[in-house]
Amino acid sequence: MVKISDLKVGQVLKNEFEGITRDLLKQYAKASGDTNPIHTNDAVAERAGLKGVIGHGLLSFGFISKLFEDFLEHGKYGNIVDIGVQMRGMVRCGDLLITEAKVKKIEGKRAYFDVIQTTITKVDIKDSDGNLVKQFEAGERGYISEKDIERGLVKTKEVPEGILTYRERVATPGETIIELNE
Amino acid sequence: MDIEEMKKNADFLINNMKGMDIPGSTTVNIRYRNMVNFAKVYGITDPKYVGPEEQGVVACHAFANYFTIKAIYKLLLGFKLNQDGKERGIMLDPGKLLHAGNRYNWEGCVDVKPGDKLTVTGKCTDVKLVEKNMMLFADFLVHVKNQNNEPVCNITISAGFRKGGY
Repeated sequence: MVKISDLKVGQVLKNEFEGITRDLLKQYAKASGDTNPIHTNDAVAERAGLKGVIGHGLLSFGFISKLFEDFLEHGKYGNIVDIGVQMRGMVRCGDLLITEAKVKKIEGKRAYFDVIQTTITKVDIKDSDGNLVKQFEAGERGYISEKDIERGLVKTKEVPEGILTYRERVATPGETIIELNE
Repeated sequence: MDIEEMKKNADFLINNMKGMDIPGSTTVNIRYRNMVNFAKVYGITDPKYVGPEEQGVVACHAFANYFTIKAIYKLLLGFKLNQDGKERGIMLDPGKLLHAGNRYNWEGCVDVKPGDKLTVTGKCTDVKLVEKNMMLFADFLVHVKNQNNEPVCNITISAGFRKGGY
């Protein structure tokens, strides 16, 4: 059971989704009616200067609402009052989408959250001599820009196969208000 | 289109579109299959959202995307103003339209159910030009009500119009 007295300022709710694929984008396009081909057809997306298909802006929003629906056990312990999102960064196939919601304040039975959705875009893995071990879609299609590097968004970390280069970027900042029953 | 013409058009929209109701309304018929298919995109398995129709399923929150975005786009395409004696659409090139943000509010709202007939209306609440990149931003407050005139969701949509789009 979730009660307002159980929540603390600074508490974080989190989910991760690593299933953004071309099939999912097609499924969302069909389900939402947003059939703009930049989300489903690489050739059209390339002609639009996007280097490949991009996720629908509001596809990510659904992972925020799902995070809170799951937390509230689908209305059993309370309701979602408000969700606001800003579309900042494109979401690509193969991205890991991390949704984190942090309690900002609590007033009465309402909790106010700051929400950040971050994408982790894998570029490649190299061995210790700099030889390419594995290349991901972002590396093949050139999704990472000079600006990303200048902004310090491109990072590396050790993985079992070598050194992974990836980009970590905020895709969707936002806020959410929920109201608990108790 | 040169910068001066863009600025003139932006001034016109700031002075004439802000505060205006978007003419007309759009109706969206809600079908069980659409609701469930939408929820399944997110891997939702709770029977409240994807159970059998006869057990009284309701739409998941993300489904608001389904009935809002297409409807507001349709309304905006039909949103005309008179500038210098000539009728113009608020978007000169819909291809220059960017979706900048959304705020969904469900306060005092009822659930969306299969068979609902939703009516979508909107109002332009803000327009501003960012001269640095000549992007024109507009906020639209969208009200969605069901066939019983009960609110199901209120949405603020922030749109950006790139150079040449306004």
